[in-house]
Amino acid sequence: MPFPLPSIDFDPHVVWRFLFNSVILEGAQRTLIVALIAQVLGVGLGVVSALMRMSKNPLISGPANFYVWFFRGTPLLIQLLFWYNGIPQLFDNPDITRELTSFRVAIFALGVNEGAYMTEIVRAGIESVEKGQTDAAKSLGMTYAMTMRRIILPQAFRVILPPTGNEFIAMLKNSSLAFAIGLVELSNAARSIYSVNYNVMELLAVASIWYLVMTSVFSLIQAELESRLAVGQNRPPTLFGRMTEAFGTRETRVH
Amino acid sequence: MIRCEDVHKRFGRLEVLRGVSLDIEKGEVVVIAGPSGSGKSTLLRCINHLERVDKGRIYVDGQPVGYREVKGKFVEKSEREVARMRASIGMVFQRFNLFPHLTVLSNVIDAPVHVRKLKRSEALEAGRTMLRKVGLGDKLDSYPAQLSGGQQQRVAIARALAMEPKVMLFDEPTSALDPELVGEVLEVMKSLARDGMTMIVVTHEMGFAREVADRVMLMDEGVIIEEGPPAQFFNNPRNERTKLFLSKIL
Repeated sequence: MPFPLPSIDFDPHVVWRFLFNSVILEGAQRTLIVALIAQVLGVGLGVVSALMRMSKNPLISGPANFYVWFFRGTPLLIQLLFWYNGIPQLFDNPDITRELTSFRVAIFALGVNEGAYMTEIVRAGIESVEKGQTDAAKSLGMTYAMTMRRIILPQAFRVILPPTGNEFIAMLKNSSLAFAIGLVELSNAARSIYSVNYNVMELLAVASIWYLVMTSVFSLIQAELESRLAVGQNRPPTLFGRMTEAFGTRETRVH
Repeated sequence: MIRCEDVHKRFGRLEVLRGVSLDIEKGEVVVIAGPSGSGKSTLLRCINHLERVDKGRIYVDGQPVGYREVKGKFVEKSEREVARMRASIGMVFQRFNLFPHLTVLSNVIDAPVHVRKLKRSEALEAGRTMLRKVGLGDKLDSYPAQLSGGQQQRVAIARALAMEPKVMLFDEPTSALDPELVGEVLEVMKSLARDGMTMIVVTHEMGFAREVADRVMLMDEGVIIEEGPPAQFFNNPRNERTKLFLSKIL
């Protein structure tokens, strides 16, 4: 058994010992939840921002353009620190400061940052829907809002999904930056353990394994979602789809 | 029912409509033919305000399209008013433009339910009847991608008819179809004409024009250069350009 000293030795037993450690698991859970909520926030902001950007009215497109430019142009780390340290200073109110936990601020900062990137993805998705669809919807008497909601956005969704999946995988990893504002997410949890027992490599391996598990599971979910959305478009079945073929194909299963 | 007064429309520097005037009665079937670029599609799109005219006026059923008359002046209509007006003008497109994420039946009932605010059960009944009428009663739950071009266009016609429009505009409805599928769409259009629908059809199908049209018009370079009942248009055209056009396509 190796001494607990900083070394380049790597002991898989240590990895196994900490893989299901409660602090690690809590950290992983926190990473997942923060990433999920922040991504949802980001998609919501992205849709609003994309629609604003597409407006002919500069009073509407201007702020959206500024939002995208600013939050894509500054480092995420600085945004996290800004929201966490800067806002309490503006309000100078201890009650507000107490409410601004690193968990909440991390979700907010990651979400706002993500919205800037989602804007372009959503806009590309909307523009990928052919103009004839808008013509048809309008000629049936639908307003712009109804056309967007019922006809354009549902179709844009199919184009938006793959890059959004990529964004979420990046989000899972970007969430690790929130350690800078004190959030005990997965990376921070690993660090808090190895700073005591010096098993740096092993704990980093533990964290990496959990990141890989989360990103891999999510990739599978995304692939399955994409193939389900291709209903009526004759796409080849997915790995998961082929595995479940024994239970009946999409057409014979009652939805 | 439809009146155009000296309509002008340009896209950038290209003037596509250079003073189009016409008058169409209720129940009339008018075919508009002409070389590509003559402005036929643009004229249709101006009638239901998918394009805004630069000069001149268009009236549908007495109402000016896109504008409201207030104390002698013309004020641009709000988006909601324009949408309401469009609901009573049906349009069928060359590329069908069915909603691919909805089933055939959903395509047909979506607008009646959400625009006309019909009860879903009523819309479903009316939709099924409409689709049976165009010969697609067995395809209610199919998706557009599973249908042939002719079937898709018939769904598009049913979808437009489901809104109970006062007039139907057809923009080259069979141009994108394989020849053997053209007939089934024309049959639907002919029965629509027989039922008394006011129709403006932009098409190259001169057989259809001869059989069903009350008047045929030739458009060239942004103006109507000839019009008349089919017998006169095809057998005794007055304009030289009409003769030239007919010699090319017949």
